[in-house]
Amino acid sequence: MAVRHDRKVSILDIMGPVMVGPSSSHTAGTARLGRVAREILDEDPVEVRFFLHPPLAATYRGHGSDFALVGGAIGLNVDDPRIPEAIRIAEQMGVEIEFAEEDLGDVHPNTVRIEIKGKTKEAEIVGSSIGGGVIEVFRINGFQTRFKGDSPSLLLFYRDRPGMISEVTRIIAEERINIASLYCSRKQRGKDAFMEIDVDSPLAREGLERIRAVPDVGEAKYLDRIT
Amino acid sequence: MIESFKQLEEAGRDRDLADVFLEVDEQEHGIPAEQILAALRKRRGVMRDCIERGKGGGLSMGKLVGNEARKLNEAFEAGRTFLDPLTIKAEIYALSVMGENSRMGVIVAAPTAGAGGVVPGMLMALEEERKIDPEKTVRALAVAGGIGSIVALSANISGAAGGCQNEVGVAAAMGAASVAYMMGGTTRESIHAAAIALKNTLGLVCDPVGGLVEVPCVKRNAIFAVHGLTAAQLALAGVESVIPMDEVVEAMVRIGRALPRGLRETAEGGLATTATGCAIGTRLKDEANQRRAERAAERERVAQERKGSES
Ligand code: SF4
Repeated sequence: MAVRHDRKVSILDIMGPVMVGPSSSHTAGTARLGRVAREILDEDPVEVRFFLHPPLAATYRGHGSDFALVGGAIGLNVDDPRIPEAIRIAEQMGVEIEFAEEDLGDVHPNTVRIEIKGKTKEAEIVGSSIGGGVIEVFRINGFQTRFKGDSPSLLLFYRDRPGMISEVTRIIAEERINIASLYCSRKQRGKDAFMEIDVDSPLAREGLERIRAVPDVGEAKYLDRIT
Repeated sequence: MIESFKQLEEAGRDRDLADVFLEVDEQEHGIPAEQILAALRKRRGVMRDCIERGKGGGLSMGKLVGNEARKLNEAFEAGRTFLDPLTIKAEIYALSVMGENSRMGVIVAAPTAGAGGVVPGMLMALEEERKIDPEKTVRALAVAGGIGSIVALSANISGAAGGCQNEVGVAAAMGAASVAYMMGGTTRESIHAAAIALKNTLGLVCDPVGGLVEVPCVKRNAIFAVHGLTAAQLALAGVESVIPMDEVVEAMVRIGRALPRGLRETAEGGLATTATGCAIGTRLKDEANQRRAERAAERERVAQERKGSES
């Protein structure tokens, strides 16, 4: 099931972001992709591997994408003047970093797969930096999705069963939050499933706890706008 | 929801174009107009600072560019220039921003970093030379963003997707529309300014030397800032694009698809593969490899030291 109003980008997306140069798709977008991986991992990384689609692998270094990807993965914002130092900072933090090339299929040229590990958890995303700092993450931990990071989002990993969507959306409605879009995918009927809900306004802690308490919800993560 | 320039012309008839875009964003993204304007005010400040810093010059990361703004500014201040001040300032400011960008300085992507000099170059020069209220510039930034957001509905705004027309071309169109707005033009005139600007960048390829946003990007921003001013001037005099803006965008998308991969940011064609371009590319690669080797050696040394102190 896929319910999604494809939204127009905003004025501030086009006239922005405020960022460290030199390339919005290679610096700002890639930093945001790194950030998404870091936020989904939700703890300090100890190991990050970047698998770059061939066109990106050919151009990333000259544009400082290596600094940007790493900067994002250690939690820096796109306008953080420390981005040019990100690799050194990461090394000081003891984060192991690796870059490799990988053909990711019929995707946007600037696409990367990121494997990130912390002390207790790990995560994987595949996403593209499609220009002007705008990103599209289309795989999270093996599930298909269409995450853009331009609004607060709720990511749910759960066991597929009837009624799940309505239970979760009811809680969100009760929290008086408007849903901008909703996307579900699953690996197999009745098995692991994933739901991405983009919302118009921030979700409070209690709302998130209520969703976590819904039976069959494995993990629920709330991500703010990725800046 | 406004999905085309045709709809925009309808919605913006006899209305302030910035208000139209702010309203759309409020409806679609739930961001109140005041909040957008506040953010744009800050971004205008970032542009201003960036222009000031950039005038000082300094070498870029790839050491290919960086002092263009300083040189032109020095010539201008010494009275050694022949163009009119508005044009020269648009060039200096665009070069300043791009110089900062090439040194990994903080800039505003407009709509991308590689094309980030065009809009501030045009708008800040106009504001200064025609003594326009800075608040009007802030609103003009909303117009620029709004124009870009309609283009972005059908086109991917990146050199990798469709060549430089998708970046610098779109920036020139956004800038032309907002200059027409700042000069008191109608919505229709703004849209035609954008169409004239974009139409005349169609086919512009992305062939950065060594894959860096330096050559031709930095100077190209100055040239297309002036190009955008010219387009706005034509539109304000009543000259209209025979091909409507929506169709110009369509043409841009089609041309972008037809461009070979080598001319879409891969540094595998055009200027990047000239004799000089190749030589620079090779030098950059060697330098990068050397830096990587140094870094690896440094890591090794630290690891050894740690081991040594543990035992
Ligand atoms: S040539 Fe390519 S990298 Fe340079 S400004 Fe144009 S689109 Fe950007």
